[in-house]
Amino acid sequence: MTSSLAKAAGRTAAKRRSGSWEPFTVVSVIGVALFMLVCLIPFWVIVSGSFTDEQTLAGKGYSLIPQPFSTAAYKLIFTGPTLVSAYVASIVITVAGTVLALSITSGLSWVIARRLPYVSRPLAIFAYIPMLFSGGLVPLYLLVTQYLKLQNSYFAVILPLLVAPFLVFIQVSAFRQLPEEILDSARVDGAGELQIFFRIGLPLSKPILAVVGLFYAVHYWNEWFTALLFMSDIHKYPLPLLLQNLISNVSFSQMLPTAAAQSTPVYQLRLALTVVTIGPILLAYPFAQRYFVKGITLGATKG
Amino acid sequence: MSTRTSVRSSLWLGLLAVPAVAFFLVFSYAPMAGLVVAFKEFDISKGLFGSPWNGLDNFRYFFASGDAQRILVNTIVLNVLFLAATLAAGVTLAIMLNELRGRFFKRAAQSTIFFPYFVSPVVVAIMLQVLLSGPAGDGGVVNDALAGFGLPTVSWYTEPGPWPWILTFVKIWQLGGYMSVIFLAAITSIPEDVYEAGQIDGASRAQMALRITLPLLKPTAAVLLVLGVGRIFYGDFGTIYAIVGDNGTLFPTTDVIDTYVFRSLRQIGDFGTTAAIGLFQSVVGFVLVSTAVLIQRRYSKETSLL
Repeated sequence: MTSSLAKAAGRTAAKRRSGSWEPFTVVSVIGVALFMLVCLIPFWVIVSGSFTDEQTLAGKGYSLIPQPFSTAAYKLIFTGPTLVSAYVASIVITVAGTVLALSITSGLSWVIARRLPYVSRPLAIFAYIPMLFSGGLVPLYLLVTQYLKLQNSYFAVILPLLVAPFLVFIQVSAFRQLPEEILDSARVDGAGELQIFFRIGLPLSKPILAVVGLFYAVHYWNEWFTALLFMSDIHKYPLPLLLQNLISNVSFSQMLPTAAAQSTPVYQLRLALTVVTIGPILLAYPFAQRYFVKGITLGATKG
Repeated sequence: MSTRTSVRSSLWLGLLAVPAVAFFLVFSYAPMAGLVVAFKEFDISKGLFGSPWNGLDNFRYFFASGDAQRILVNTIVLNVLFLAATLAAGVTLAIMLNELRGRFFKRAAQSTIFFPYFVSPVVVAIMLQVLLSGPAGDGGVVNDALAGFGLPTVSWYTEPGPWPWILTFVKIWQLGGYMSVIFLAAITSIPEDVYEAGQIDGASRAQMALRITLPLLKPTAAVLLVLGVGRIFYGDFGTIYAIVGDNGTLFPTTDVIDTYVFRSLRQIGDFGTTAAIGLFQSVVGFVLVSTAVLIQRRYSKETSLL
């Protein structure tokens, strides 16, 4: 009786919710719409500017409509050897980094998640301590440059970020949710522990692998700090570092084909390169977004 | 299954963790040992172990340099601003998003405001340049707007004063959507009957947001706050350095520990002093983070890490 009353109340509540527009709802819609605009406008100004003729850009500044329309900067980007090599560098770093990082993180997380006596807990603490205390910049710099001698190698960008403890803990909690019965039945069938990991654990965990892999991929794609530290050969710069060089107005005529060097559309080029840097993330975003939301929600409740 | 096979199989299993253990040893634990350089007069030709010890000279040099106070104050002030602003923005956005009807608009809104989180700091720096300085160094979208209203334009990149607020705005832009995802997840877990009860009592949507949703978001906000305070000694190097770079005019309000350390390593090559600052940061940071984690664990059992 009471429950059916509650249900009826719930129904009217739902009705009222979709029917009337209270002031607070209106305020919320406006507030969110404004914030959306604030988020979008910088992107739009950049895209628009990247298609605007250089002289207009230098004379009148940026505008919301690209006029006169020009694709000069994009033509330069895809003919200039350094710009193409930066793209290649970013792709190599992102793909190799993500594959390596995801494999190594999965291996560690699986061992922690299996709760092996004398192994799992010490391992978890071992992986957790670097979140609390780090050696900082100088020892890392000395390690990479003096001992590992990785300057100007893509590995200098890939290796220092290989395992993110935060993602280890997300993955551990996901692995722990796999039903133990499935693993046990595999053991009864005579599967070894490694076989169980590769044949059952990983295939059943595809969603969490996607979450963790995407976090690593975005991280590597955007990474420029380690590149800034360890890369000095401009032909090996990943995209963000090349962009950063354009901001600080380092001479970049050397990146361009010689014929074009005299009338380089500097400002337009900077914007076009920005668009090219965001592009892949923007393209992947609609498919990847729900995984990120999932990862953050998991991380917020577990880490 | 006998114990022997189980021991052997767990050995096999342990193999899976070997690469990660090697990674942590080389890239996390070896640098911790490398912090001894903070107590040495480092000479690159003599190497880490050959360089002579110089006690606490590096620390004395840093704290006597006059930079110490500036960068410590900046680090703390900026982080407090960032933390307060992003938490407030996250809560506000989440409550507003929760009011939205129409699945399409809601989803579009969430996707849009979450996107800046995925943008590289370098790109953020370029956007800011577009807004504040324009291609030729003067102008920019903001100044055009100021001029449009008949207000005087500002040469932003030579004025240190407004930068803490500009950087805070950037942080809200970057992290507002991210924070709102966390808070929206917390709102979704609030049971529906609480709102039904409110509705029966005749509460308006605004009252329900203020009296029901907001108080119920407190634990989530508290956890994020505590963790944020724990990391108060670590600046966001990427964003600040990408935006400010080596523009010395802005240092009085924007130079933080991380950017200072980076510059003194790259430009002066003073390994000893730089490592001393790094060690100081790590030790204070360690105390703060551990305290934060302990507090957080005490108050929310289900959100603990280990």
